[in-house]
Amino acid sequence: MLDQEKHEAKTVETEQLVASQQLIVFRQGDEEYGIHIDQIKEVVLTPNITKMPQTRSFVKGVANIRGNIIGIVDLEEKFGLKEATTTAEANEANNYTLVIESEDYKVGILVTEVPNTLTIKSSNIEQSVNVIHDNNLNSDYIKGLVKLDNRLIILIDIFKVLDEPELETLAALEDAKSQ
Amino acid sequence: MSKEEEYKEIFLAEALENYEELNRLLTQLEKSPGDKKTINAIFRITHTLKGNAAGMGFKNVSDFSHILEDLFGEAREGKLVLEDSIFTTLFKALDTLGKLINAIKDNKAVKFRGIKTKMEVLLRTTKNEALAKSSGEEKSVEDNVSPANDTSVEEDSIFDPLDEEPENDNSKISFSDLVQVPVRKLDNLLNLVEELVIERDRIIASNSGVVKTNEYTRLNRISSDLQYSVMDVRLVQVGFLFNKFHRVVRDAANLEKKKVGLVLKGTETEIDRNILQIISDSLIHLIRNSVGHGIEKPEIRKKNNKKEEGVITLSARSESDAVIIEIIDDGAGIDIDAARKKAIKQGLISPDDANQLSDNEMVQIIFEPGFSTMNQVTAISGRGVGMDVVKKALDSIGGNISVDTKKGIGTTFSLRLPSSMAVKGTLLFELDSETFAIPLSYTKAVVSLYKPDIHKVANGLVSTYLGNIISIVFLKDILDLTVYRPNSLHKSFNEVHPEKKLDIVIVSYNNRTIGLVVDKLLQQKEIVEKPLMRPFDKVKLISGVTIMGNGHVCLVLNVAEISNLIFSRNFSTKNALSI
Repeated sequence: MLDQEKHEAKTVETEQLVASQQLIVFRQGDEEYGIHIDQIKEVVLTPNITKMPQTRSFVKGVANIRGNIIGIVDLEEKFGLKEATTTAEANEANNYTLVIESEDYKVGILVTEVPNTLTIKSSNIEQSVNVIHDNNLNSDYIKGLVKLDNRLIILIDIFKVLDEPELETLAALEDAKSQ
Repeated sequence: MSKEEEYKEIFLAEALENYEELNRLLTQLEKSPGDKKTINAIFRITHTLKGNAAGMGFKNVSDFSHILEDLFGEAREGKLVLEDSIFTTLFKALDTLGKLINAIKDNKAVKFRGIKTKMEVLLRTTKNEALAKSSGEEKSVEDNVSPANDTSVEEDSIFDPLDEEPENDNSKISFSDLVQVPVRKLDNLLNLVEELVIERDRIIASNSGVVKTNEYTRLNRISSDLQYSVMDVRLVQVGFLFNKFHRVVRDAANLEKKKVGLVLKGTETEIDRNILQIISDSLIHLIRNSVGHGIEKPEIRKKNNKKEEGVITLSARSESDAVIIEIIDDGAGIDIDAARKKAIKQGLISPDDANQLSDNEMVQIIFEPGFSTMNQVTAISGRGVGMDVVKKALDSIGGNISVDTKKGIGTTFSLRLPSSMAVKGTLLFELDSETFAIPLSYTKAVVSLYKPDIHKVANGLVSTYLGNIISIVFLKDILDLTVYRPNSLHKSFNEVHPEKKLDIVIVSYNNRTIGLVVDKLLQQKEIVEKPLMRPFDKVKLISGVTIMGNGHVCLVLNVAEISNLIFSRNFSTKNALSI
């Protein structure tokens, strides 16, 4: 799997050097997600996560990664690809954390397998995506879809994901108001 | 090094810097003599230098800068025309000033009478010309004959010709014994030391069974010394801030047409520079507030048999690991009945509650957002913002504020500040198999209670502690709270077994006492708190984190916010989630 991808990446690279982009691709549920390599800081074994109150369920908590305090999120849960888990459960499932860095802050994404790098042609990215989604939310965080042979990779902006208000929270708020 | 020596060193560094700056500006001025900006800058620097030197008791430097200040004061108003010949004198004067400053360090004799007299004559002529007024008010030269304590100045004749002054050491460039370091670099250094301490604790914890504990004694000592040295470097005297308040008081008093004097006490008390910076606005506000609300108008003071001039005392003192700053005025005191009425009118409190509260509890209402007793909005006080901002600023650094007022006698605001941002004494406890820290500054006691000791009252829980009724909260219920529902705070209580011993940490904030039920009490520990970064910066209940010896992250509770959450009236409609 890994070798095959690497091989693919290489051939693509030689074919299209000019308008190519490097992505880090990781599996979430049955889907493949991609993030620009510039945004990725490192991949580490997930350290112990401490639960943080007053955060949404998919935010698993904070962890100490090389002396930095970094928020850890579970995107599978965020995207509705699995049932909600507790921080304790997340700690037991010993997987990897992908550390993403923006100018403002860093955030860690829980992944089960080591992510791969992939070089794609810019023309492979379909920018205007029509995805069915709830009108109340914006899916700005989906930057595009990459079609590659049989694969479909969802290109996301992780920092927009965190800014998005949560549907269940809004519903719960309505609930509380009506009481 | 003694305190006095240290001040002297700081003064010298500043004075030399001022001197260099004056040299630069004067050279600039010579090229464009009409430049008002440069003249103003020189005037300001000489003024500062005069003040600093006078404060330190270096009379020669002070007097000399005073004359320079006067000269440039005249030049500023256009009364003194800066000609070439005057520049020669000015440069010579500046050289002499530099020598006088250096003389403080090496006790060398400096001849300065001649040039001083020359400047005085210049000043007098200018004044005479401009105002045709006698120079009676001028300081006579004879007044200044007594030499300053640290300098042994050889007295030479007042009429000594200038040319006789030896010029041999003009070419020497003097170096200050102090270096200036940007705070940014100090912050970085402190961060590194903090990480070192955390790493040290981690190594010691992980090897605790393997190696003898005294194996690490030296490492412990060296790293602790290093930590305290870095913290020490960051300490500054509160006097640096306090001295700026003379002007604040003067301006505020002028605006309010009041007579107010400022007395400073304990200016040598040391505190972390960042803390001083954070509270500086709060102090300005409190002082303006004392002038605006506290001190009465002169005629009223006279009527009440008080001196016409009100006094505001700003005092600082160290108390174990805290610094106490007090702002004391001898004014009218806070009108508690007026505060009560106002609070009811503004809907901050219900009339029933208001009448039940004691005066001391009532007066704390001034820290609520949107509260102001002044009916009239003035420029310096009565805008209704401020006291709550002061409170927030103090909360952010783990300090607190209290107020004590006596009608007709005055009001005292008392600020308790941590002397250092770096290390915090905390109590560690366990909840849901995770470790939390709670700052000792809020912790009053730890007690054990059983279920029958606790009673449900409305949506909350209460118990008694030392004869007082206190609120009891299962901390888990608060931390798990996403959306408030009635009886949320009863959840854990309902589940708890009647015979289970409950560990309770009693905390106090803003005169409100709360018992927090936790799973298990651990030990006391000094921690290095790191602030929460994005995306967690909106999480209110946690003020920061620290890294434990095992590398895990430990959350530090924000007692102020927990108290606010429990007692907040808008509780039910608020969404508790931050991100």
